[in-house]
Amino acid sequence: MKLGQAWNSRGMRKLRRNKLAMVALAIIGAYLAVALGVMFGLVTLEDTRERALPNQTPGLFGSQSNDKRVLDATWLNDRLASGLSIASSSSQADDERRFRQLNDSVGMAERVVPIGQSFSEATAKIEAALASFELLDEALLDYEDIEDEHFAIEEEIAELEADVAAARAAEPSNADEIAELEEEIVGLREELAEVSPLLEESTAARDAALLETEAAQLEALPMPSGFGGAVYAVRTSLGGDEGGRSIAMKAIYSIKIAFQVGFVTAIVCVLLGTALGAAAAFYGGWVDYGVMFIVSVFSSIPSLVLLVVIRYIFSDSPLFDNAAERPGLALVPVYAAFCLTFWIGTCRVVRGEVMKLKELEYVQAAQAIGFGRMYILFKHVVPNTAHLMFINFSLLFIGAIKSEVILSFLNLGVKGQPSWGLMISNGKNDVTKFFFWDVLSATGFMFVLVLAFNILSDALQDAFDPKHVG
Amino acid sequence: MSQIREPILKVRNLKTSFRTDRGVVTAVDDVSFDVFPGETLGIVGESGCGKTVTAKTIMRLLPEHLTIVGEESRIEFEGVNLAHASPGQMRTVRGDKIAMIFQEPMTSLNPVFKVGWQLDEALKYHTKLGKRERRDKAVEMLRLVEIPNPEQRVKEYPHQLSGGMRQRVMIAIALCCEPDILIADEPTTALDVTIQAQILDLMNGLKEKLNTSIMLITHDLGVVAQVCDRVQVMYAGRVIESAPVRELFHNPIHPYTKALLSSIPKAGGVTRGDKLPAIPGIVPSLWELPDGCRFQDRCDYKQQRCVDVEPDLAESKDGRLYRCHFPMDERVRVTVGATDGGA
Repeated sequence: MKLGQAWNSRGMRKLRRNKLAMVALAIIGAYLAVALGVMFGLVTLEDTRERALPNQTPGLFGSQSNDKRVLDATWLNDRLASGLSIASSSSQADDERRFRQLNDSVGMAERVVPIGQSFSEATAKIEAALASFELLDEALLDYEDIEDEHFAIEEEIAELEADVAAARAAEPSNADEIAELEEEIVGLREELAEVSPLLEESTAARDAALLETEAAQLEALPMPSGFGGAVYAVRTSLGGDEGGRSIAMKAIYSIKIAFQVGFVTAIVCVLLGTALGAAAAFYGGWVDYGVMFIVSVFSSIPSLVLLVVIRYIFSDSPLFDNAAERPGLALVPVYAAFCLTFWIGTCRVVRGEVMKLKELEYVQAAQAIGFGRMYILFKHVVPNTAHLMFINFSLLFIGAIKSEVILSFLNLGVKGQPSWGLMISNGKNDVTKFFFWDVLSATGFMFVLVLAFNILSDALQDAFDPKHVG
Repeated sequence: MSQIREPILKVRNLKTSFRTDRGVVTAVDDVSFDVFPGETLGIVGESGCGKTVTAKTIMRLLPEHLTIVGEESRIEFEGVNLAHASPGQMRTVRGDKIAMIFQEPMTSLNPVFKVGWQLDEALKYHTKLGKRERRDKAVEMLRLVEIPNPEQRVKEYPHQLSGGMRQRVMIAIALCCEPDILIADEPTTALDVTIQAQILDLMNGLKEKLNTSIMLITHDLGVVAQVCDRVQVMYAGRVIESAPVRELFHNPIHPYTKALLSSIPKAGGVTRGDKLPAIPGIVPSLWELPDGCRFQDRCDYKQQRCVDVEPDLAESKDGRLYRCHFPMDERVRVTVGATDGGA
């Protein structure tokens, strides 16, 4: 009944008419659902740490150069070879155990050697893949020789052409020397014309061998199908980072971290800031002086410096810094740094509002009814600052998430767990190698969340601002 | 007749000062009066003469750390001196025994709570009624203050009510615990004239019904004439005249009272081009009070004595109080000479 009333209230109807706000709300809802899912084990920390792909694999729609594919095939070949040798040399002839050893050695999340076959069958397939790779290796050597030669000739021609240009520019120009050089260039060009078809041939041979090897490797180590395939598709959708870890998993897990930091910080800071600010304004005197002294001290220090210092103080404690074993406690230094610094803004705003409110007659009227000071403060005055609490909550939530990313980027924030800041920090070196997937996914996830939140808080303000209602 | 009865509230030598950046300033100085059961006492005066401070001192609503209430000040109520009572004692008096309503109905109700909730809260604090009884009582109180459709109104927020309605709700909240005294601080100033009349009628009716004494603070002499039994006129923090309402209007003793009465516009009494009589000058600043009578600069009947000595509160033959060396009813009129050294 009450909820129905609230749903049909004027502000809510206005909010529901705002399509953009509804989209933003849906996006935030989806993020929240994912965060809750991660909390209940949809994505585990292990998922974000294990290898799912070859190093630096691009995600969906990303194409790879043939050189990178050769690298990947080589890498996979090594894995398969070492896996096979470990599994074959195992003294126990237990197939299940051998498959486990083999797959552990290959170590690629859902992509495993299927165990629905006999071990000898699997061995045959892997050996075929290894044999196919040997052919590729030969083709590769061939190709490299010819490419080297081709490159050397091209280099020489370029050098000679530079010499010719220099000779022409010299005063007085030596016509004999120029003619000699040009003759030499013509000779080299003929040579290049002989080598070029060979290069093309060897390139084609290498590409054919590469395709063959890839097919054989896929045969030995097929892409998972069914549910596992869907999971693997999601996992590889945004590619893998420099350790072959799934970027998608890291980005999704970071949603939980971001929400955790955002919620804890926003709730603690809003409650603390409101209580202190309201008490300072309401009681005045030494309470006000005390609170405002702390606020002034905190706000006179650049906030990032303060965050870093507080973070450092806490990170000396072995209790909070043992990220591997207690991922929950590892976030405590981040909470502490944010909660100790972010309440100031809320405190100041609420103090100003309560300064105004306490002079209003309903406060005196409440006193005239006989209520105690504390009761009036928390029952009559603080509820009137609810709008400030909501606005500050949304500001702090986003502010905390952004600051968490910054601190993590500086390696002072989240440790031992994925975070958008850590992803950007790890990915920043790969950007120079034209590998953007790490940085782009982290930024994209954060950008969408922050934008949705900003749109929603704008819409909330439009819909519920008492100055517009009436 | 009223003198025979025992007063319910006795105020003696009330002195209220404030600490300010410029030093201590006394806003209410040596004010004494009684409130008798069932009567309406009017307190009249210009802005800044100490009416509201008097009322808030009685309720102790002034900011404690900025206010000094004189040592000899006594506000006797049921054997307790409210001027120096503990906060605990004050809490049992406020709302339960002495209630107060304020000038601005627009801000007197908490905007975030429903009207019913605010009535319920006061009842919960002061009575032992159960939840259902409190709800019934709240509706009954709203009906008593003549709010139509009270069952619906308790579920509404203050912003859904008009100014007059809100003042009615304030009166309902103030009266729901059946206090002995209701202090009304300019209850009709912010309302338009027709609503003013309704609210005053309502207060008069409720006074009879509930036998509550009312202390009505106003600057509107019309309101005083309509509802008060006795009137006390204040000027610059002092009581300068106190009399039953009829006598005050017919026969003012203090020149200030007389001047106030003559500055009320009279229907038909003014012809075109006549100016409305006004009291020249302004109330003296509390920082620079003159040595003698505080009204001297604006008085038509000023004498040298008025400049030298401040008059004490005197009692006339028929028991009226006044603070003047040359009361009007003795018809002492010596015009001040131009050479007379009065500053």
